[in-house]
Amino acid sequence: MVRISRQSHQRRVMVAMTIYVIVFLWVWPLARAADTLWLKAAYALAPVPPLLYAIWLLARRVLSADELEQRTHLIGIGVAAAVVSVFGIVSGFLAAAHVFPPEWAAEALVWIFPLLMLCYGGAQLYAARRYGGGVCDEGGMPVAIRFLYAATLCACIAAYFYFRKGDRDASATMLGMAGGMAVFAGGFAVWRWLRGRSMRE
Amino acid sequence: MKNRVRELREKRDWSQGNLAEKLDVSRQTVNAIETGKYDPSLPLAFKIAKLFGQRIEALFEYEEEK
Repeated sequence: MVRISRQSHQRRVMVAMTIYVIVFLWVWPLARAADTLWLKAAYALAPVPPLLYAIWLLARRVLSADELEQRTHLIGIGVAAAVVSVFGIVSGFLAAAHVFPPEWAAEALVWIFPLLMLCYGGAQLYAARRYGGGVCDEGGMPVAIRFLYAATLCACIAAYFYFRKGDRDASATMLGMAGGMAVFAGGFAVWRWLRGRSMRE
Repeated sequence: MKNRVRELREKRDWSQGNLAEKLDVSRQTVNAIETGKYDPSLPLAFKIAKLFGQRIEALFEYEEEK
């Protein structure tokens, strides 16, 4: 299989995830107000196609990877599967014991995919670094820019919750996430600059 | 496992990127092999040996773990 450049892969994933967020914010909420069951199902499942596209992109990237990259992907997926399984079983037990309302369990399910992706990315990055790889190898987009993009996306969602929905709690949560990601972006930018300076000297 | 990949690559004046392209792997993989952080699979080891025109045992040397 032809190797796909990291930059091209990242660009496509970002487009898919942006579409996912837009659909999730603007189309998915229509499901609750829909009259018929099929329309409700159609609205509720609207965010799924961009997610499937992102999963397909990931599968294609793994299949076209070399043997070391495949090993790091496997470590990433293994760690992510373990974390998500623990998250799922803990949420399930707590929901079954009515420790929290059942609606929360449904919301927890929505967070499974983002959690899986986050753990997968982190563990894969850690494994790649153990083999001497860097966060910006193979001409990929700098990690600071990726975090900055995610921070901007979270800030947009926060603004949406605040101005369109009037939901201050959700807005504060998203704003907190945006702030955290912006801090990571700044940290990685400084680290990259310091590393570049020490290499020049 | 010890190997002579870096030595042979430098003799040919190839960069890690050049070698990675010839082997159809990433530069990171070439770097990991050269620094001994990763031992290649048998097919990849044969591919490297063939590329350098060497026998596989002339390229890779097994070391007992301490």
